[in-house]
Amino acid sequence: MAAVKETIDTVASLEKYEHGFTTEIDQEFAPKGLSEDIVRFISAKKDEPEWMLEWRLEAYRRWLELEEPTWAKVDYPKIDYQDTYYYAAPKKKDGPKSLDEVDPELLAVYEKLGIPLKEQAVLAGVEGAPRYAVDAVFDSVSVVTTFKKELAQAGVIFCSMSEAIREHPELVRQYLGSVVPTSDNYFACLNSAVFSDGSFVYVPPGVRCPMELSTYFRINAKDSGQFERTLIIADKGAYVSYLEGCTAPMRDENQLHAAVVELVLLDDAEIKYSTVQNWYPGDPETGKGGIYNFVTKRADCRGDRSKVSWTQVETGSAITWKYPSCVLRGEGSSGEFYSIAVTNGHQQADTGTKMIHLGANTKSRIVAKGISAGKSTSTYRGLVSAHPKAKGARNFTQCDSLLIGKTCAAHTVPYIEARNGQSVFEHEATTTRLSDDQLFYCQQRGLSQEEAVALLVNGFVKDVLQQLPMEFAVEAQKLVAISLEGSVG
Amino acid sequence: MTLATALKTGDLTQLPSRRDEDWRWTDLRGLIRQVPPASPAFDGEVEAGPFDALADDSILFVNGRQRHAATQGAGETIALRFVSTGEGGGHAASYAIVVEPDTTLVLLESHEGKAGGYLSDVTLDIAVGEGARVERIVLVEDDAEAVNVVTAEVDLAPGATFNQTVLTSGARRQRIETRVNHPGAHAQVRLDGAYLLDGQRHADQTTIVTHGGVDGVTSQLTKGMATDQARGVFQGRIVVAPGADQTDARMGHHALILSDKAEIDAKPELLIFADDVSCAHGNTIGALDEDALFYAEQRGIPELEAKAMLTQAFVGEVIERIEHEGAREIAAAWVAARLGRIG
Repeated sequence: MAAVKETIDTVASLEKYEHGFTTEIDQEFAPKGLSEDIVRFISAKKDEPEWMLEWRLEAYRRWLELEEPTWAKVDYPKIDYQDTYYYAAPKKKDGPKSLDEVDPELLAVYEKLGIPLKEQAVLAGVEGAPRYAVDAVFDSVSVVTTFKKELAQAGVIFCSMSEAIREHPELVRQYLGSVVPTSDNYFACLNSAVFSDGSFVYVPPGVRCPMELSTYFRINAKDSGQFERTLIIADKGAYVSYLEGCTAPMRDENQLHAAVVELVLLDDAEIKYSTVQNWYPGDPETGKGGIYNFVTKRADCRGDRSKVSWTQVETGSAITWKYPSCVLRGEGSSGEFYSIAVTNGHQQADTGTKMIHLGANTKSRIVAKGISAGKSTSTYRGLVSAHPKAKGARNFTQCDSLLIGKTCAAHTVPYIEARNGQSVFEHEATTTRLSDDQLFYCQQRGLSQEEAVALLVNGFVKDVLQQLPMEFAVEAQKLVAISLEGSVG
Repeated sequence: MTLATALKTGDLTQLPSRRDEDWRWTDLRGLIRQVPPASPAFDGEVEAGPFDALADDSILFVNGRQRHAATQGAGETIALRFVSTGEGGGHAASYAIVVEPDTTLVLLESHEGKAGGYLSDVTLDIAVGEGARVERIVLVEDDAEAVNVVTAEVDLAPGATFNQTVLTSGARRQRIETRVNHPGAHAQVRLDGAYLLDGQRHADQTTIVTHGGVDGVTSQLTKGMATDQARGVFQGRIVVAPGADQTDARMGHHALILSDKAEIDAKPELLIFADDVSCAHGNTIGALDEDALFYAEQRGIPELEAKAMLTQAFVGEVIERIEHEGAREIAAAWVAARLGRIG
């Protein structure tokens, strides 16, 4: 019976974008638009020290001089940067922040999204089930971070970025902007000026973080943008696995999401960073609405033998512009990038990675799977480069694209730059459609066309799904099926 | 924005630069500080070209000026020569070739640069009629100080076959670009290339194949080697337009780097707007196989000779795909001589 129930649930959830609800919550906003005053307003709201405000203002001034990039294969009307709220936060009461004091309506939102914010609720689950700590970011602020005490016992700092600026200014000053400099690119620069919240993680030397950490981003307010900033530092020999999820309400207007994620790895450290991105993709028929997802993510493997692994499942957003990268500086450091990008309706995704080999004997692996359906466009864009000092560098890249339907497009644009005689680079890419024979075989055995497509697609992306932590993998598999709903026939 | 326009107008801003995405690895604006005067006319004796012995007739350009034209109906094997006498200066030439339906043409093209720096731009328009068959072999031997840009625009009619092999030793900056408008409709395209670069030479092989209709086949194989401080560039783009179903396109680029200061840059692109297609590309860059090298040396072959031998075998795959027997032999001899000189 359980199987039947699951089927019914899956079919029911296939109906639409199920996270598209809005929540009426008492919120406060900064005035619309962007100016030095707004930057000061955000900084003041967060009670930031003077150096932080200066940092933001400098970024803002640099941003005014930069031009919006146009090289990606995405097409969208010009964004009016003055027509957005850069700060929106649920009104909160005074006093220390504990779970009991969080607005029950907010808790209800996360419950509806299936995100456990109550530590007991997590514990009450199946015995032996993996636990994970959550930092919940609602529009511009972090509303709660769970398991902080338990993590602190292990020496791990896991808190919101605003809290880190107040409590751990020495760490923030040392590392913030050291991986993605303020003027790195247009959107990163904008983020540096107006970033509101995000997560901060510091894992001390030799510590293996006792549980998975995760952040859940929710855009709720109308006409607002989300600009979160995440900084994760894994000290010597540390290990941490971090998950990131995101959703937004269904609206006819486009909303901007410009985040920056910086990872710092010292000797022998390891970070595993997984993302399931499910922002509202816009109306599948008309292409109206949806999130513009312009994100800069970069890991700096400073230490020898450090290792970073990016895994991403990109199913949402109207426009995706995202290239999680690895700077492999430390000797023997390695980077991995596993990606599934599913586009349907009118979605456009231009995503990929950069593997920059600077140190000797550095290794990287890229596995990217793109699936396009409907009237969507999916582009893999990547760079693999080895500098003269990166002797013994090794890269393997595989990108495969799957096309479903006559009106979609799939592109592969890899850049390979080899600058020494002792490295080996391999790259292969294919573009095909679902095999008629395989579809026929599945249908002949009693699967509906939709189920057959889901099955074949899941087989196509299996290599990447396997890299996700267990509970995310199940979720992601379902998400891929939902995103492709209605794409055949 | 081309070298030809810059030569004509004297306007340096007409030169492509690193900021132009398609020229990021072949920067002309950063290199050329001033537009040189037009190359002088040359009336002297011109040595025999590399393909003269095979050709029924020849077309000769010297310093951008046409000196000799082929007679109508001269035969199906034509040598097309672009000679730069190397007295400095810049020149541009353009030439159009129309291949009548159901005929065959073997175009043996050579770019011969004598010592001395020069700027040369060559534009070719090749129209291949229905059911016609063309094999274009391009042998580019420029001076180490030269800048040379060769662009060919190839239009194919249904059922046409176009096979091409570009062999180059590079120049100060060099770009051999081929754009093919592929109608599908059982037309077939083979675009191959080989580059062998030493010193500070640079060679860029760029191809753009646009599949506009159903049932088209494209096969590409480029192999290259760079040593010393040389730089090899490969940019291959395959575009499949909406509705160009049953397209079968494969592209391969494989390169060897034999020194720690050499560089290889590659961008194999697929832009696909149709779903019933089979497209793939592969790209590998690395050093010579240590085991193979060890094996050869163990059997008494000196290191340099062993390296040349293995590189020759590596590039050999491209040479073997040349259909015209005489041209294949010349190409093989060119590879051997070039490797002998580099070694």
